[in-house]
Amino acid sequence: MKTSTPPITRRLLAIAAISALLIACGSVPALAATPRDTLVVAFAFDDIITMDPAEAFEISAGEIMGNTYDRLVRFEVNDPSKLSGDIAKSWTVSADGRIYSFELKAGLKFASGNPLTAEDVAFSLQRAVILDKTPAFILTQFGFTKDNVKDKIKQTGPLTLTIETDKSFAPSFVLNCLTANIAAIVDKKLVLSKEQNNDLGYAWLKTNYAGSGPLKIREWRANEIVALERNDAYGGGKSKLARVIYRHVKEAATQRLLLEKGDVDIARNLTPQDLAAVSSNKDIKTTGTPKGTVYYFSLNQKNPTLAKPEVREAFKWLVDYAAIGDTLIKNIGVVHQNFLPVGLLGASTENPYKLDVEKAKALLAKAGVPNGFKVTIDMRTVQPVQGITEAFQQTAKRAGIDIEILPGDGKQTLTKYRARTHDLYIGQWGADYWDPHSNADTFARNPDNADDAKSKPLAWRNSWVIPELTKKADAAVLERDAGKRRAMYEEMQADFRKDSPFVMLYQQTEVAAFRSGVEGLKIGPTSDTTYMFMVSKR
Amino acid sequence: MTANATRNGAVPGETLRDWLISDRPRSRRQASVGRAYRAWRGFSSNRLAMLGLVIVVGLVLVAIFANLLSPYSPYIGDLRTTRLLPPSPAHWFGTDDQGRDILSRIIQGSRITLFVVVLVAILAAPIGLAVGTVAGYSGGLIDAALMRITDIFLAFPRLILALAFVAALGPGIENAVLAIAITSWPPYARIARAETLTIRQTDYIAAVQLIGASPWRIVLRHIMPLCVASVIVRVTLDMAGIILTAAGLGFLGLGAQPPMPEWGAMIANGRLYVLDQWWVAAAPGAAIFVVSLAFNLLGDGLRDALDPRAAK
Repeated sequence: MKTSTPPITRRLLAIAAISALLIACGSVPALAATPRDTLVVAFAFDDIITMDPAEAFEISAGEIMGNTYDRLVRFEVNDPSKLSGDIAKSWTVSADGRIYSFELKAGLKFASGNPLTAEDVAFSLQRAVILDKTPAFILTQFGFTKDNVKDKIKQTGPLTLTIETDKSFAPSFVLNCLTANIAAIVDKKLVLSKEQNNDLGYAWLKTNYAGSGPLKIREWRANEIVALERNDAYGGGKSKLARVIYRHVKEAATQRLLLEKGDVDIARNLTPQDLAAVSSNKDIKTTGTPKGTVYYFSLNQKNPTLAKPEVREAFKWLVDYAAIGDTLIKNIGVVHQNFLPVGLLGASTENPYKLDVEKAKALLAKAGVPNGFKVTIDMRTVQPVQGITEAFQQTAKRAGIDIEILPGDGKQTLTKYRARTHDLYIGQWGADYWDPHSNADTFARNPDNADDAKSKPLAWRNSWVIPELTKKADAAVLERDAGKRRAMYEEMQADFRKDSPFVMLYQQTEVAAFRSGVEGLKIGPTSDTTYMFMVSKR
Repeated sequence: MTANATRNGAVPGETLRDWLISDRPRSRRQASVGRAYRAWRGFSSNRLAMLGLVIVVGLVLVAIFANLLSPYSPYIGDLRTTRLLPPSPAHWFGTDDQGRDILSRIIQGSRITLFVVVLVAILAAPIGLAVGTVAGYSGGLIDAALMRITDIFLAFPRLILALAFVAALGPGIENAVLAIAITSWPPYARIARAETLTIRQTDYIAAVQLIGASPWRIVLRHIMPLCVASVIVRVTLDMAGIILTAAGLGFLGLGAQPPMPEWGAMIANGRLYVLDQWWVAAAPGAAIFVVSLAFNLLGDGLRDALDPRAAK
């Protein structure tokens, strides 16, 4: 027996080696397809800095919040002007337009198993106001402060609560704001159990999940993966797929390869030429929606040269909108020179600016800088932003303006932008809620330009002092007559086009390419309304 | 005037070649010129090394005459008419996503590559040489201290350390050069120290010491010149690495800033189009490959020619 053992072992080893080789060869196609119950999405999400809905204000984070947290009301994706209850069964507005009473649906539960009651809703809204992070202004504009919020947002019964605003705003405006991520409902019991030093669970929730949405966040690893799982405790229609995995893939070319090979089901950040190329592939389809997202260059008014009105205007004549529209953003956007994206009440479609170097030179001469000057621009190294910036650098050079590009990732450039230490910045703005005030509030309002201002809208980030425009924006949000309100926004956009330090570039059409087996994918008009829980796979 | 008349102590009837390879040089100058000639003969018999030299000389010429050679401006393109054109007689290497001629950008980019290589060599080699010779000659505590610092620098992966420096200093080609220089001197220090350790035992160093030369004079005048040859060889061999590190930083967006035609940044730009417009990334990739290879071949040839121990 002893002597016969070695040959058998050797033969076994050989068989094992060959079968391992066969398995390795055979499993290549199997590896390529994604599991049937899992949706894999290639997505560039290097802008995510937190998973706490009270702080998350980034475009990619918005989508995660929209899929994983419930709120009182949501707007309907197919008709964004209509609202429907999410966890709210019904609501009424008092005669003076200041008190909103909500009744919640009964029997709802958080993913943790805790029951969802009015106590959680009141706590979530109060928490957002008390933590007072960047997006808190969406709620604090109704007059809530750290001190009064517990009186203004009150639980009145196990499933009822009231919200009292300081002015009689247009009801649609108030309700629209409650669809935003900042009004997402967190699990009070769970969050408070993780509290450290009275931070209302802020440190814990940055990387954890305490919601009740159709999907729950299993894991977020920065610049790597966001893993969502079906929430079986969800009260409404359950997610059709068990898992949604977002993979951070920065390169559009890589996203396309992954999609073509079937390694991902959906590619979210394809470039125009990728979209043109995949359109001939019968296994791949595309879907697109005009987004509430606009792209712009902004000029920091802390820079004395950029603060001159003629310089501001000159920049607007130094972008080759038409050529950029036909090449760099073809299929993914349309030239749009207003701060309200098309689709919102009162949005203007006037695009008066085009590339006109002579006009820009004349304006620069008038401003006292006939030979141009040097400035820096902070730029995220993603397309099409980088391509547009380089094209702009070329055209600006023709008027003598030397633009030095400072490349960085989303977090670096955004942090610098928020600290107001940039010269020029190329950015994008997605509407937080489907109301013109969302964009008017950030582009055309700057109530306090101090460095420690309470709210920090885009006008503040560029240190643009605009008492007149601020007044107009404030009046427009109180106007209950829709026709008058529309006219007010049109007037504001005209002022803005002429004088603002924002060079509005284009409105995004978000296009996703997906494997033909994916069904029910619809890109939402805002960043938090692309609902992956509606998607199924054949 | 004949050639012979210019040579001191020339023997009538002796050709220039005989004079150069003479076993009995009659002057110090003849000896050193003869040595250089023999090194050159060794070097030039190595065809690959000659190929490397030709490419490097070509790179220098292209960099000098970049403005004359480039058919278009490397910075100006037309989005509408010249975007992403494939290679053609009008644009030999095609055009990139901004409509710029890639050949012109490669040609202009040679200046940046050369700038980086030369500056790093000028910055890093003297630092390494000084640290190595001082450590080797002094010995003891100074040696230990200097070599431990060197060890610390050697313990970091070079690209990562360069990344950290660039992140701290801010993006830009000058900062990239500085970062690469800071990270590339330790190997030179090691080599110079090893050479110094053998040289300091020799009789003529002892003789110079007896005459009363100061340690500084000995290090500067009698040790450093002897270490230079091996450091030069090592620097030449490293140049490929320097080019790749610079290209790597450019690729990661930390080296040259747009629209500088830095080869690494050009590849970074081209990777978006690599599937359909392969030429955008192919041309700078090939340029980096050719130049790095040339520096390696040149370095190998130099080592064979200059190192007496490698003589056949």
